[in-house]
Amino acid sequence: MPAHDHGRTAIRTRVTRREFLERAGWGTAAMTALIAGGRAQRAGADATSSYPDWIPASQKPPKRGGVLTRASEWDPPVLDPRLTNSVGLFQFASLVCNRLVRYPFSDEATSPTDLTIKGDLAESWQSTPDHRIWTFKLRQGVKWQNLPPLNGRELVAADIKYCYEAYAKEGVQSFTFREIEAIETPDKYTVRIHLKMPNVMFPQNLAEPVAVIFSREVLEEDGDLKKRMIGTGPFTLKEHTRKVRAVLARNPDYFDKGRPYVDEYHILSTPDAATRTAAFRSGQSDIRWVASVADAEAIRKTNPTALFEEYKNVQTVFGLALAQDKPPFNDVRVRRAISMAIDRQKQVDTIYEGHGMPGWGIPYIYYQDKMPTLAQLGPYWQYRPAEAKRLLAEAGHPNGFETTLFYYEYFPQMSSQVQLVQQDLLKNLNINIKISKLDYTTFYGRYAEGKWDGMAWGFKTGYAVGLDEQTYQYMHSKSTKNYFRFSDAQVDELVTKLRQTPDRAEQRAITKKIVDREFDQVLRMWMPADNGFLIWQPHLRNVGLLALRRNDGYGASTFARLWLDK
Amino acid sequence: MYKYAIRRLALAIPVLLLSSLIVFGLMRVMPGDALTALMAESGNVGERELAKLRKDLGLDRPYYEQYLIWLWQMVSLNPGDSIFTNEPIAVALKKAIPVTFELATLAMILGLAIAVPIGVISAIRQDTPADYAGRVVAVSGLSLPDFWLGTLVITFAAIWFRWIPPLGYTSFWESPTRNLQQFLLPAAVLGFRLSAATMRMTRSTVLEVLREDYVRTAWAKGLAGRIVVYKHALKNALIPVVTIVGGQLGTLLAGAVVVETIFALPGMGRLTVEAILFRDYPVVQTNVMLVAAILVTLNLLVDLTYAWLDPRIHYQ
Amino acid sequence: MATATARAADFEVAPTVALSRTRALWAAIRRKPLGAASATLIGLLVLTAIFADVLAPYDPLAAQPEIRLAPPSRAHLFGTDDIGRDVLSRIIYGSRISLWVGLLAVGIGTIAGMIIGLACGYWEGRLDMILQRIMDAVQAIPGLMLALAIVSVLKPSTTNAMLAIAVVIIPGNSRIVRAAVLSAKQNRYVEAAEALGCRQLHILGSHILPNVTAPILIIASIWFGNAILIEATLSFLGLGTQPPTPSWGLMLSSTGRAFMEQAPWLAIFPGLAISLAVLGFNLFGDTLRDAWDPKLRRNR
Repeated sequence: MPAHDHGRTAIRTRVTRREFLERAGWGTAAMTALIAGGRAQRAGADATSSYPDWIPASQKPPKRGGVLTRASEWDPPVLDPRLTNSVGLFQFASLVCNRLVRYPFSDEATSPTDLTIKGDLAESWQSTPDHRIWTFKLRQGVKWQNLPPLNGRELVAADIKYCYEAYAKEGVQSFTFREIEAIETPDKYTVRIHLKMPNVMFPQNLAEPVAVIFSREVLEEDGDLKKRMIGTGPFTLKEHTRKVRAVLARNPDYFDKGRPYVDEYHILSTPDAATRTAAFRSGQSDIRWVASVADAEAIRKTNPTALFEEYKNVQTVFGLALAQDKPPFNDVRVRRAISMAIDRQKQVDTIYEGHGMPGWGIPYIYYQDKMPTLAQLGPYWQYRPAEAKRLLAEAGHPNGFETTLFYYEYFPQMSSQVQLVQQDLLKNLNINIKISKLDYTTFYGRYAEGKWDGMAWGFKTGYAVGLDEQTYQYMHSKSTKNYFRFSDAQVDELVTKLRQTPDRAEQRAITKKIVDREFDQVLRMWMPADNGFLIWQPHLRNVGLLALRRNDGYGASTFARLWLDK
Repeated sequence: MYKYAIRRLALAIPVLLLSSLIVFGLMRVMPGDALTALMAESGNVGERELAKLRKDLGLDRPYYEQYLIWLWQMVSLNPGDSIFTNEPIAVALKKAIPVTFELATLAMILGLAIAVPIGVISAIRQDTPADYAGRVVAVSGLSLPDFWLGTLVITFAAIWFRWIPPLGYTSFWESPTRNLQQFLLPAAVLGFRLSAATMRMTRSTVLEVLREDYVRTAWAKGLAGRIVVYKHALKNALIPVVTIVGGQLGTLLAGAVVVETIFALPGMGRLTVEAILFRDYPVVQTNVMLVAAILVTLNLLVDLTYAWLDPRIHYQ
Repeated sequence: MATATARAADFEVAPTVALSRTRALWAAIRRKPLGAASATLIGLLVLTAIFADVLAPYDPLAAQPEIRLAPPSRAHLFGTDDIGRDVLSRIIYGSRISLWVGLLAVGIGTIAGMIIGLACGYWEGRLDMILQRIMDAVQAIPGLMLALAIVSVLKPSTTNAMLAIAVVIIPGNSRIVRAAVLSAKQNRYVEAAEALGCRQLHILGSHILPNVTAPILIIASIWFGNAILIEATLSFLGLGTQPPTPSWGLMLSSTGRAFMEQAPWLAIFPGLAISLAVLGFNLFGDTLRDAWDPKLRRNR
């Protein structure tokens, strides 16, 4: 067995993984020999190098200067944060704007799962004992970026109030911000928020990457936020050309003195995956995300000095979504049968090369310390085809049935998974699935609309960090973000209770109950996945990968602390 | 001649109108909505928000109203705004057209530079190994999908040379060297495909012309072979080539989407395809109409050139 | 269009020449190496498609993920794909899809184009004007865009991709047929037949149709290859054949590209298959042209 350490991973890495890696090495060697002639190298020792999940902050004093470049697959659909949650926008909006509170940066966090809420625009905050009224004290002397019409004026409490009320009024954030009953600004630096119902975890909602503070003057002058973006953040949006690039330049008046370290951050729109890899290899891009070990190894061959980091497998985002509000999937026996007929371990071992997770929704760090093993996920997550067949027959479908499944290929491994699931269900339960591979818009539109029949390779939205978002906002039967279309009274009760539970240990206990219920009733049939790896050019520093906040995407605000050692 | 030209021009208008109807109809029938693309990766969209956005974007009006509004916008050369970005379409086009124009021009030049010499040689040396080699090379250009050739090129450029064209489109006026670096590879990939069809056409028309009586006479008279070929044969042989090249413009203008995607060039192809996938109706309609208008005009020009060059052709 | 008029005039033949045409084609195939090669390739394709069940060593849909991404070996001559399916078997069955794609797209496009062209050319007048304008309108829309739009409207599938390609083919075909018909009408045989009072359909069938078949077949053979390529591009853009169908285009554009470095055989073999098929059809079209073009024949 390879000697590397996967620490918290209790998932067995079978011999197939090493075999695979060696074969991959051979395969690649054959290719390079075939074409390049003579450059063949065995994968050998490289393949067994470990992938740390944390690169600690550099001990050296940070250097100022330089340009950070990244070839990005995402283009923002709009610049207006009220109208979209797309990572295409927040990959740089998180750097142009601030939020009231935030999560730790790479040089502050003690580990990838350090989720202590820190102040961003707020210095301190407290709540009334019933957690219904929250008072935030703002940092003084924070200036808006020195661009018209703000011209560097000071940020005041009224600005925060304006933003939150705007979010509540219209757009994609309204569900969250309608929890707010009223906002007071007793003085220039104090914001007092009254909630409709108690919520212990309310600051988490304000720390989500999408809750950025935008400028009132721009909205009033332009009528919308689609043309300009001005914030209080470490970078100004110097240039944005659709489908070409976004250029961020250091904000000289940033309140966090001395930061950001880099002069500019260039985001180049590069829709094709092969081109992004080529850009990293040729040095044009400083950062590259890949989905699997084999992909990372391929880059290691050409760029052996690059820094490799694993994006911690804390949660899965994708699962087999069923039209649960109608037959046949509204019968829990049918759901359980389907879940038991799918060989998850095999997907982890083969498609994800032993490195992935069998799949669960709520990040495990919210209820336990170690990553769950497949065995811990309950009886309906185990591969028991005979039992599944019996249960499905009991539910009235001894001969299976026909159904459809639509999906969008976010990454190639997903297509492999979908086809394996199709084969499993056909072989074990005689459920015949017709697959539709769709383009992004059709897929997203159909899925989000929530009226589809059959099955979908669905998801919960990817930006959420906080526990409240992960539970109440995603699982309550009335929520507009409940994509899996389930309605469970017990869950409703538990997620509401969770919001009112201040004690940490109790929170974990309740969260565990929610998770157990979810798995018992198969409310969301999570599928195996791997959060992948981020690869950095060797001269980048302070690149610790933060769980639930991918640094190059929603977690981009941490780039204020990134510096270039050259 | 002039009567023909004017008649053709007049007929072009109903053709364009018909095209616009086809495109308009297709876009409206598609499942999905511009709005859902806008709501990408979000979840908070209730019925109320969706309805409001739909109203703001004018999507709730009856179809014929939408069509007439758009038609008016086209005629008054004010194509309106993109549903998706709210940016005026004219602005987006102004940025995309130079990219496509440059890519198309370079691709055509490279394509012709490869195709014509190979075609001529192939024809002169018909049925020799040189001919076979030329034809196989040409046809391989036709039989490899662009996305495959493009991926190969960019991946191995990075692996072997540690170099790929600089990303982030720069216009020619800003920096000629960087711009040419960006366009050379994609133009070569596109040009290789175009050269295949052109080469075969060149070959067959040169073959025909070489068999013409006047050419055989010239040869019999003992004029140096090369002069015969170049002066007499080539000129006539190139006429259909012009037609073929004109026909390839459709590919260049809108079909270059694959090459544009792989080499990260913000051209018309990507603009249109992404608009189709995002159901951004105004952009698709405007772009397709623009391309259609260009194609119709160019076809007319090609026809007129053809008639002018070869007076043996007559028009009913 | 002028070009078509000039070209179609080359193919004026008397009705009894069909037999000699076949003979000419056979001669061309035998004599010219490229003609023989292309005929062989097409023959291979058709035979593979027909006898796929017998030829394929494994079930093309049977996934064995434990042996995924295995390089070519004795057990799996072309290796295995991302979920362990045998690539050789998928290529063999893929020939059915490609043949199907070509036949349906080109078949429908050709037949529909022929009907429209015949109608336009023979009856002329207002029918001709209207239909031709519609054809112009469709043709003014770039082919890939049109195909994309059509497939987006109908659900993405192999069949719908083929229908879309057929629509793209129709205008060009109709134009060629129309021109051939127009020139054939000026033929003495047709005048004579009309003078004799033959029925219109009879004239169409025995005098005009033979003139038209030659250019149609040549164009069709070239479009065959194009159809396969367009289907592959549609798959690349995310619309087109659905998994797990073993279409060469889908194999090349999805797993072929995604695993290009780890498993190049996933791209090499579908790519070769596509190239050889397209090559075969294109060269065959050349051979047809060489065999049937009277101008070239005359001077052999």
